[in-house]
Amino acid sequence: MLNGIYLDVHQGEIIGYIGPNGAGKSTTVKIMLGLIEDFKGEVEIFGQTVRTNDPSYKRRIGYVPENAEIYDNLTAAEYLAFVGSLYGMDESQIATKAQQLVELFDLEDVYHSRISSFSKGMRQKVLIIASLLHNPDLLFLDEPLAGLDANSVMIVKEVMAQLVEQGKTIFYSSHIMDVVEKISDRIVLIADGEIIADGSFEELQAQNEEGTLEEIFNQLTGFDQHEQIASSIVKAVQDGERQ
Amino acid sequence: MKDFQTLIWLDKCSRLFERFNIDYTALRCILQMKFTMDARRVPTVFHDHKPKEGNQFLKSLWMYALISLMLIPFIVIGDAYFYQMSFMFSVLMFVAMLTMISDFSTVLLDVRDKTMLNTKPVNNRTITAAKAIHVMIYMSFVVGTLTVIPLLVGLFHHGIIFFLLFLIEIIFVSFFILIFTALIYLFVLRFFDGEKLRDMINYMQILLSFSIFIGYQLVARSFQFMDFQFSYTFEWWQLLIPPMWYGALYEMVLHQQWDVSLFVLSLLGLIIPIIAFIIYLKCIPSFERNMEKLMAESKGQRSKGRIAAFLATIVSKNRTERAFYQFANRMMNSEREFKLKVYPSIGMTLVIPFLFFFNEFSGESTFDLANSMFYMSIYFTLLTVPVGVSMIRFSAKYEGGWIYRVAPIQQKRDIYTATLKAILIKLFVPIFLLESVIFVMIFSSRIIFSLIIIALTAPIIAVITYLMIHGRRLPFTESYQGQQQSAMLVFPAMLFLGVFAMFHIILTNLNYGEWIYLFVLLIGNVIVWRLAFLRV
Repeated sequence: MLNGIYLDVHQGEIIGYIGPNGAGKSTTVKIMLGLIEDFKGEVEIFGQTVRTNDPSYKRRIGYVPENAEIYDNLTAAEYLAFVGSLYGMDESQIATKAQQLVELFDLEDVYHSRISSFSKGMRQKVLIIASLLHNPDLLFLDEPLAGLDANSVMIVKEVMAQLVEQGKTIFYSSHIMDVVEKISDRIVLIADGEIIADGSFEELQAQNEEGTLEEIFNQLTGFDQHEQIASSIVKAVQDGERQ
Repeated sequence: MKDFQTLIWLDKCSRLFERFNIDYTALRCILQMKFTMDARRVPTVFHDHKPKEGNQFLKSLWMYALISLMLIPFIVIGDAYFYQMSFMFSVLMFVAMLTMISDFSTVLLDVRDKTMLNTKPVNNRTITAAKAIHVMIYMSFVVGTLTVIPLLVGLFHHGIIFFLLFLIEIIFVSFFILIFTALIYLFVLRFFDGEKLRDMINYMQILLSFSIFIGYQLVARSFQFMDFQFSYTFEWWQLLIPPMWYGALYEMVLHQQWDVSLFVLSLLGLIIPIIAFIIYLKCIPSFERNMEKLMAESKGQRSKGRIAAFLATIVSKNRTERAFYQFANRMMNSEREFKLKVYPSIGMTLVIPFLFFFNEFSGESTFDLANSMFYMSIYFTLLTVPVGVSMIRFSAKYEGGWIYRVAPIQQKRDIYTATLKAILIKLFVPIFLLESVIFVMIFSSRIIFSLIIIALTAPIIAVITYLMIHGRRLPFTESYQGQQQSAMLVFPAMLFLGVFAMFHIILTNLNYGEWIYLFVLLIGNVIVWRLAFLRV
């Protein structure tokens, strides 16, 4: 599916990783996390190849998966304790840290309830906390803002900005172009398994003579029929009515 | 999370794991999480969805101990070991296998594991080991409770050698079942997609619930017919039946029959699990790959609903009603929880009518069944109606129910009548027709008129039970959580059906009694279907 992705990522960057559905975004992330072992080419993280039986490089990585997949018959407390200890943290350390983060994310009332009873936004908060708990150096965030309310969105965006200032690296994939445009230091656009644009937003703007990232995205992925399709849809809707 | 006793025992082996390059701390952590989740899952044998306190899994073990009592007769009845023990192992393997498939599929097939565990700094070997140990521990609990009583009975009845043979064979049988289950998954996932597999698991669950009930009935009765006094003779097909492999060892050792055929059979029991295990190990990578199918969306064929569409046009001329008929029909088809709760009871209604005259039949050979009134036991098939109705209010995706309020539906009663028609046609009609054909063969065509009358009571019962159980509440709009168990509703419904049946039996003895009853039922149907749900 992927076809010649050459990407050098430096410390202290937020990389906005964007592309149409099925372009290969999740596949890239899965390869880097070692979920897919069957690939050609070379991937190195922290100067170490991911094709190794030693998973210790994952200790420095945090991950928010896209579909909010989570063991939801555990309580938030149990889940965080579980994830923390998989990252090799000791129990008292997990407990104090999780407690603090849960309070800051305004989840303390439901801390001991099962995640299955949570709303979409609350689940997302648990996943975000779980990805940060072990103070990772590299974060893979797949639609991390999905389901969060406007205030929480502001908090998480600010957290990302401050983490990057501290020297962390964030790999951010999303379909919401406005957000990617604003937070990313560097934007990587892939389509059909290939990188078709790579640079800061300003650089992309200069190359493409378009105003917003959304327009650049449309232009680069060769999609210019949105008006036509929209009017066909409207027409189809109204046709049904006349009968 | 609480610390489990099993884990404390496992801690003693931590050195061993470390030697195999398995990260014991992570392994323990994963198992602890899995056990916590298991404790919250309600096993199929319970068949009841009230959220309860305590460890659901450990509580369900009592059920297996109860089932194990079923095995005792096979052990104590005589010393035709080959046949007795083969029967015993058949039952044991059947129950253990169905449990593995129905309850433990969630463990083998938890797709979240990949994203949750493989992204963490834990090596693959540890994750695989954790899964294997988890399944093995579960298996040993289930098989352990299933066999502890039979083992003790065997020890006291047949002595220590029997006991030891039993113990060894149980270990091999468990191993066999474990790998065989995994291979079934492998096979299904290889050729079909995730939805098919989930359907298959669903049907296994239905079969388990059903067969536990029927098992009691049949085993208890079958001993009247079985003669365990015959001695062992070899047939080639015995090689194909796994329980017989395990029965053979007893015959050989305890009866000192050093027969080649027995030796071969026993050997198969030891070798096949080992071969299966090797195949399984070879297949693990493809298993992992095919697991992805569970996460992927199913392509799905267009539903073949031509018959259903045709029935819909017959069932109603009203467009809304037709739409809701098809909707209810499809919901019943795809709602796994509904099937799990309803189908076992429906299977029972198919069998119960026969149980009624089964005893009479076997007792006196002179008894004139064909001319008796025992055909009235077909009233039990009417139980399909209250059973189906009782579950119709619930859905796993009950949140979708907003559509009822948003859509501009002129007459709410269409929703109810359409749903009831769907229940009648989908659940009652097939069972009743099947049963009627068999009954006409047994009791001759004289009962056809009575059968028509019985069929006519079904629509009335449908409306009345719906109003009694759900009132005006809409179908498919509430969660299964915390609802009444369907079996609890079956007993009042039986009483209710009994009243109808009594009426019918009394009237058959009067001149033109059945004709009058038929007339009353016809008018009753019209009135009930017209008036019910009128003011909604």
